[in-house]
Amino acid sequence: MMFVAGIAGVLVGLACAVYRASAGPTPFDRLLAANAIGTSSILLLALFGFVTGRPEFLDIGITYALLNMIAVLAVLKFFRYGALGHVQDPEQDRDPE
Amino acid sequence: MEVLLDLLSWIALALGGFFYAVGGIGIVRMPDVFTRMHAASVSETLGTGLLVLGMVLQAGFTLVAAKLLIIFFMLMIVAPVSSHALARAALHEGRLPLLVNAKNWLVETDPVSLFPELETRLRQPLSSEQVAGETDPQEGTLPARPTGGYAYALEGDGAPSDDGEAPR
Repeated sequence: MMFVAGIAGVLVGLACAVYRASAGPTPFDRLLAANAIGTSSILLLALFGFVTGRPEFLDIGITYALLNMIAVLAVLKFFRYGALGHVQDPEQDRDPE
Repeated sequence: MEVLLDLLSWIALALGGFFYAVGGIGIVRMPDVFTRMHAASVSETLGTGLLVLGMVLQAGFTLVAAKLLIIFFMLMIVAPVSSHALARAALHEGRLPLLVNAKNWLVETDPVSLFPELETRLRQPLSSEQVAGETDPQEGTLPARPTGGYAYALEGDGAPSDDGEAPR
């Protein structure tokens, strides 16, 4: 089975990404590693479904891909603005109170 | 024909696993955020593409192959967007890329010193801030006040301790 070779390669990449996520000096290293972990988890799901003969795991992979995109953009917005909501002008903030 | 397809998919799966492992090793060993992004893009393009190609060749013309291609295109959309946003956030926070200088040493280099036209782009606010500032013109026809308030808000953002009342 050649799927096992693909799974081995993806597991090596996953282990390296986990190391970088735990030891990365800057938050951007950790975020890059988190993105890599998400991608490799999607590929692991697909390959594992092929190994076990149940390709229905691909639906979970599609969901993980969508979640991965939203998570990365949300965390980057948090780094930039310090908040996840809409950034308002201070003058507009003062009006209702 | 079956044997040929099997052979091609096995080659693609083995090469995909190899490139994925290479990208992972690059993520560990590279010295910098930007070079680590370069290493991660290897596993995100070549590794993912070859692994998905191998699985599609095994699946044939079925719904499974269509789902695999959907996943592949989704990853191909996500990877450039997330790496662009990551590099831009790192540059805006002040991280400098490691570049080779004249003595062949790796030093932290300000990219503005190499490409002066980057000055106007990097020092400008991001477009979402401009959108937040441009919500004013609908309530009035004063062109001077929104731009003045906008520049004032930017200065307050850069040096928050100047006027203690402005940020909150």
